[in-house]
Amino acid sequence: MEKIAEQKIIDDLLPQKFGKQGVIWVISLLAVCALGAYAYFRQLYYGLEVTNLRDYVSWGIYISNFVFFVAISLVGSLITAVLRLSDVHWSTPLTRIAEIIAVSAIAFAGLIIIVDMGRPDRFYNLFTHGRLQSPIVWDVIVITTYLLISLLLLYFPLLPDLKIMIKNKERNGKYLQKLYEFLGSFWKDKPEQFKITDKAINILSITIIPVAFAIHTVTSWLFATTYRPGWDSTNFGAYFISGAFLVGSGAVLIAMYVFRTHYKLEKYITNDHFDKMGKIVVLLALIYLYFNVNEFLVPAFKMKKSEEHHLMGLFTGEFALAFWFAISTAMLIPILILIFKKGRTPKAAFVAGILVVVGSWFKRYLIVTPTLLHPFLPMSDVPENYKHYFPSWEEWAIAGGSLAGALLVVTFFARIFPIIPIHETITETNEHEKV
Amino acid sequence: MKKYKLFQLLFVVIIGLVPNLLMAQEAAEKPTLALSLKYFNDNNKTHHLEVQAKSKIDGKFQMIANVPVQFYIGTETDKANLIGKGVTNPKGIATVIIPATVKTQWLSTPNQTFIVVSTPTKMYEETKGELAITKAKLQIDTAEGRIINAKLLALVDTTWTPIAGVDVILGVKRLGGILNANETPTYSTDSSGAVMAEFKRDSLPGDNKGNLILTASVIDNDVYGNLSVEMVAPWGKYYPFDSKFDERTLFARRGHSPLWLEILAYAIIVGVWAIIIHLLLQLRKTIKLGVE
Repeated sequence: MEKIAEQKIIDDLLPQKFGKQGVIWVISLLAVCALGAYAYFRQLYYGLEVTNLRDYVSWGIYISNFVFFVAISLVGSLITAVLRLSDVHWSTPLTRIAEIIAVSAIAFAGLIIIVDMGRPDRFYNLFTHGRLQSPIVWDVIVITTYLLISLLLLYFPLLPDLKIMIKNKERNGKYLQKLYEFLGSFWKDKPEQFKITDKAINILSITIIPVAFAIHTVTSWLFATTYRPGWDSTNFGAYFISGAFLVGSGAVLIAMYVFRTHYKLEKYITNDHFDKMGKIVVLLALIYLYFNVNEFLVPAFKMKKSEEHHLMGLFTGEFALAFWFAISTAMLIPILILIFKKGRTPKAAFVAGILVVVGSWFKRYLIVTPTLLHPFLPMSDVPENYKHYFPSWEEWAIAGGSLAGALLVVTFFARIFPIIPIHETITETNEHEKV
Repeated sequence: MKKYKLFQLLFVVIIGLVPNLLMAQEAAEKPTLALSLKYFNDNNKTHHLEVQAKSKIDGKFQMIANVPVQFYIGTETDKANLIGKGVTNPKGIATVIIPATVKTQWLSTPNQTFIVVSTPTKMYEETKGELAITKAKLQIDTAEGRIINAKLLALVDTTWTPIAGVDVILGVKRLGGILNANETPTYSTDSSGAVMAEFKRDSLPGDNKGNLILTASVIDNDVYGNLSVEMVAPWGKYYPFDSKFDERTLFARRGHSPLWLEILAYAIIVGVWAIIIHLLLQLRKTIKLGVE
């Protein structure tokens, strides 16, 4: 990193007001959210009948979205915890990006589960009548735990930055100043305070890794503990986690590019960061590809009668287009782009990141839906539309609204708080200068 | 003009072909229906008839459903001989119990003829099936040493006479079928019409008194039809229902999960939340340090 004066760093990294583009972006997201809210109102009023969820596909796009959100949230543990514990310092400017993506994604993962319920007013039954043997109860527990740990991991490193923001009150509005004071007025840069928070961050970094693994392993067990073609796999936990790290890293690539270009952060999110994150994405895509080969090639080699329908539907049948699109965009094309140095430039890496995220969303859809359409014991005399599934506009609107909502959280966070840790950047710059 | 001639030609061809086509259709033969009739004597108490309708379709015999049939005893010409009516089910089978209304005809002779006649349908002509049987009965008993004895008697004039050389199956009712009493599948009756088998099935699940239902049966005999008789013997074993309802299992109700799962799950939850609470306390400490 270039030598940058402390005040310059503060000026560069303090939150900035929305420009024209930012306002358009926020209005667009709010519009999508409003449409989603209207669709959800219709779903509440008319019941799940407005969706195309039926007795065969009862999970559909909502649970695909849930798995996608849980997956993307794992990036917080990768960038913040794994790289921090490995003493990797280049990732410092990316930690907060990763952590806010994790927090917003996991919050919306919890919300989308409630959306999937026909009677959300009975949600409390999960707590009053939940069985410890059910992976759904484990999921509720780990999601809550992961959300809290991620919030703490977001908050502790933010404390020194809050003091900086409180100091620069001319840049803040009245309400933001009050918010900063509420959140961090007690921070006095005391060595004891640093000692406590450094230790807390280390404990959190260690704790979040098994919790992150648990959250997505448990999500995979929602499927793998069910005896169904496509889900009956001992490999599902590892398969889900590798895919989760990949989609999260893809999302970080996108966020890095957007924040870098929009907030002019080229000095902080450098080409070197794209180069390194690009390499990580290639590694993760290769690992996920390996698990995909295991997950599809081995059952296809045996081609058990019960699995045949499901597998052929994916390879050459009803879902072939989506399947090969997902495999190509989530893994093959990003690998081909990012494996070359020229592909790890910001723009190319941004494109690769978009491909990874879009492909990964489709991948989750393909994990959930085709299996539901191929039960071991098909129901007799079901209407023809039960045997096929395509989401209704309400489902698309709600899913789109949830995605827009998660992006809004990230957007507003970047508007209110520094998206790159100011204090850590200053400390690292000073250390760099000393060296 | 040319066009007009073409229409004229087409008209002539159609007029010429239509009667031929209609005649060809009339001449097309309906497929043949085969009616296979069987007689059953159940426990020497009820007697029933069963007919199966078949037809050759695409070179294979297939069961024909929805064929109306009438069953007769003796001859079909007298309406008083009507046993009953039925319609074949999807397996091509129709069944009728021989009712008390034909008791006189039934008692009139030791050898009976049953007739089944199908009502003509769009697909099939009227078809007739016939079966001649000699009235017979099976008797079953047990002897010490878990022995099953059975005897076959046929009605000759007015006397029940032992019949030799007929295959009899001795077994026990089990899961909707008959399980042989031992490794021998069938026994042939001796000159006294008797067969004997040692019951070698140990610990078969019986009812709550350990009772099993023993059976003797003659199946598809050309002369006597299908005969079966059964009796109860306490040769089985009572297996009380082992309910897992209140035990700790993975499929049990709330609060009844296995202990290992509870210990593991709660240890993890307590461990992780203890760390979170510790961190929240550290945060409180940090706040206090700032306020001081």
